[in-house]
Amino acid sequence: MSLQTQDTAIAVPTKRFFVSMLTRDITLADAILDLLDNCLDGALRLANGSDVDYSQHFVNIKLAADHFSIEDNCGGIPREVAINYAFKMGREPDDDRDSDTETIGMYGVGMKRAIFKMGREALVRTRNADDTFEVPITSAWLEAKGWDPLPINEPTEAGEKFAEPGTVITVRNLYEGVSRHFANEAFENEVRTAISEHFTMFLQWGLKVDLNGKPVKPVLVEVLVSERDDGPAPFVFQKTIDDVLVSITVGLNTGRGLGDDEEEDSGFERDRSSATAGWTVLCNDRAVIVGDKSRLTGWGDGIPLYHPQFAIITGIIEFRSKLADKLPVTTTKRALDTSSNVWLESLVKMKEGMRVWISYTNQWKNHPRADQTNFWEDARPLPLRGAIAAVTSRDATKKTDDYVEFNPQKAKVLPEPPGKTPSSRRIVFSRPVEEIRLVSKMLFDIDDQRPGIVGEKCFELTLTKAKKQDG
Amino acid sequence: MSAGSSLPYRLRPNKAVDRELFLSLLMRLAPALSLEKYQYVGLGGPFLEDFRLVHARLGLKVMTCVEAEEQVHKRQQFNCPIASIECIHRTLEDYLDGHEFKVPAIIWFDYTEPKGVTTQIERFARTVGSVPLGSVLRVTLNANPSSLGKPDPSELSVEIDGEESSDRAVKPTIQEWRLARFKERLGALFPSGLTAEGMSFKTYGPSLLRALKLVVEKEMLSFRDRRVVWALGTHYADGQAMVTATLVVCAAPDTSIEGLVKEWEFYSTPDLPHRLDLPALSTLERLTMESHEDPREKMPFDLPKSDMGEDPFSVFKKFYRIYPHFSRVEL
Repeated sequence: MSLQTQDTAIAVPTKRFFVSMLTRDITLADAILDLLDNCLDGALRLANGSDVDYSQHFVNIKLAADHFSIEDNCGGIPREVAINYAFKMGREPDDDRDSDTETIGMYGVGMKRAIFKMGREALVRTRNADDTFEVPITSAWLEAKGWDPLPINEPTEAGEKFAEPGTVITVRNLYEGVSRHFANEAFENEVRTAISEHFTMFLQWGLKVDLNGKPVKPVLVEVLVSERDDGPAPFVFQKTIDDVLVSITVGLNTGRGLGDDEEEDSGFERDRSSATAGWTVLCNDRAVIVGDKSRLTGWGDGIPLYHPQFAIITGIIEFRSKLADKLPVTTTKRALDTSSNVWLESLVKMKEGMRVWISYTNQWKNHPRADQTNFWEDARPLPLRGAIAAVTSRDATKKTDDYVEFNPQKAKVLPEPPGKTPSSRRIVFSRPVEEIRLVSKMLFDIDDQRPGIVGEKCFELTLTKAKKQDG
Repeated sequence: MSAGSSLPYRLRPNKAVDRELFLSLLMRLAPALSLEKYQYVGLGGPFLEDFRLVHARLGLKVMTCVEAEEQVHKRQQFNCPIASIECIHRTLEDYLDGHEFKVPAIIWFDYTEPKGVTTQIERFARTVGSVPLGSVLRVTLNANPSSLGKPDPSELSVEIDGEESSDRAVKPTIQEWRLARFKERLGALFPSGLTAEGMSFKTYGPSLLRALKLVVEKEMLSFRDRRVVWALGTHYADGQAMVTATLVVCAAPDTSIEGLVKEWEFYSTPDLPHRLDLPALSTLERLTMESHEDPREKMPFDLPKSDMGEDPFSVFKKFYRIYPHFSRVEL
């Protein structure tokens, strides 16, 4: 039994919680990507259900020691949305703006979190249709206890107006660490790489993203597909799970793998694979993860742990849905929600695809690379959709109402090494370079023959001797 | 040390100019940093030429010559021109791992081997964070793009000025092939946006320096007590293409060194290295070029351009003061 009293307990979030806690969950680079995500959602809304022509859109990002800015021509923020939703900390259930577009924003924190992560003063200036206005966020507002509404001002100078609808967000009074990062070229490089990976699809469709005045180029994540119907092709699987269309392909990339031991860096075995080896996960065209080689995407979970031998394997999985909350991503949009059903069900197929290629690399391990080159000669690198389209047209592909599946191992289109169970074993040893030079000079009359060849010739000499003695 | 690097300096005029530039930088820094109290660490080669010069110009006493090959090490002990040089038989990396610097250092990572370039770059960057403030670090890297490997010609296609071979769609060009190898070697250190155009004989050096700079800058994000001032970047080829970069590790609030370096006439950074591509000249040609504002009028013929494609007259004009003159001496 309990009696209700006049007292109530305050249960509103404090500004400090929002500003200092939530911003810790996201890296600086991810905060910038969040803002770029918003631009793209804007472009999607602008197209209003029809296909977006991304080549009509640009995003200019500037990182400097004293300020940050991001400018786009992606439609701007409608005044109605600014008044009710855009600056609210979190999304209301009645906000049904994007129920029929494949946007990725869902929690309504991205822009605010990004601004608070960077500095204490910000200005969001926008033009939607012919309506131009700006919302300032000041350090005084940030330090005040209450949640006073933010002012909406209208610029008066002609120079403050935009040529076309879009938004500019400027952040000043940057935090010391943020300022140091923005002035650092390595950080700029990190952001550039992240954009080229995560927004690769949009960049490929013509979106222009400039970072500090230089255009960002897309990173291509592709797998090799042979044009011949019986030529080697990647594993492919496509199915709709819980309102999410899942498309998977696993195949070989254009990397060389570990064919040439001579070039290895000394000291330790380094992962020399390209960024695109491993798994790339796309959600509504955003690459959430690029080139993952960890347990997250199945490595070491019923299949071997990632190892440089597998550097030639690339897997791509894409989730598409108009219901953003069904996608297996976290609030930062750069990490996976691995407990969702759609992810767990997909993971089974991802691993099935990986097993095909793990066994392939095992089979070819002790054979020179040149032996398999002819089989792949007519293969060309294709992105996910191209690969699925090319493989789906093959007769050996299983096509039902429910799913599409192609397993190259079962379809017997993968090349096999000559003499199926090779008895070759690797011999590896180190000798001082002066000694190698000496032997090289004796055998080849030059002192810089590759150590591997010098070693092999020595073995051959001894083998001939051994055979003689034996006989 | 590779066999190639024991070529005498007289056969490598560009390397000699590069070394003069480095010494000239040290001379400029010497009064501000009191370089005579520094420790010099280098690889030396069999004749310890750079040790002799550094000692002669700057008066450094604490000098350490590190050498991995035993026979070269013994030869160094024999040739050692100054008693205070300590010759150590070890790799440079092992020496640095086991040594605690008591005074600031001048360290020259004179890497000539193209293999292990990633480890070399990482090692250099890591040292920036661990040496005492005021230290001067210099690195030489092999910038020969063919060191990335030689593919089978049948694996390649060709494209020049829009004209292309029929297999262009399915096979990479040599530059694209090299770019893929460069990416593999550098892994996460790869400079975003670098294209196949950066993989030719002329452009690979700057691409390598770009990677080096980014790795060092990234390392610097972890240190608040120091910052780096890039002072000298060079790209040259005497047969083998090489690049060098030199930086000063300054205390974070100190801007005096930066000012001193930027006003130096040979100030250059990894972004825009000096291209040292000096012509081979007769004594008469040299004297003519030195003493005339426009020597072309006096020399009615073309001087051959080298692989780097620089104009020999303008390069000479830039570096004539430190252009070496070698002549035969009978002992």
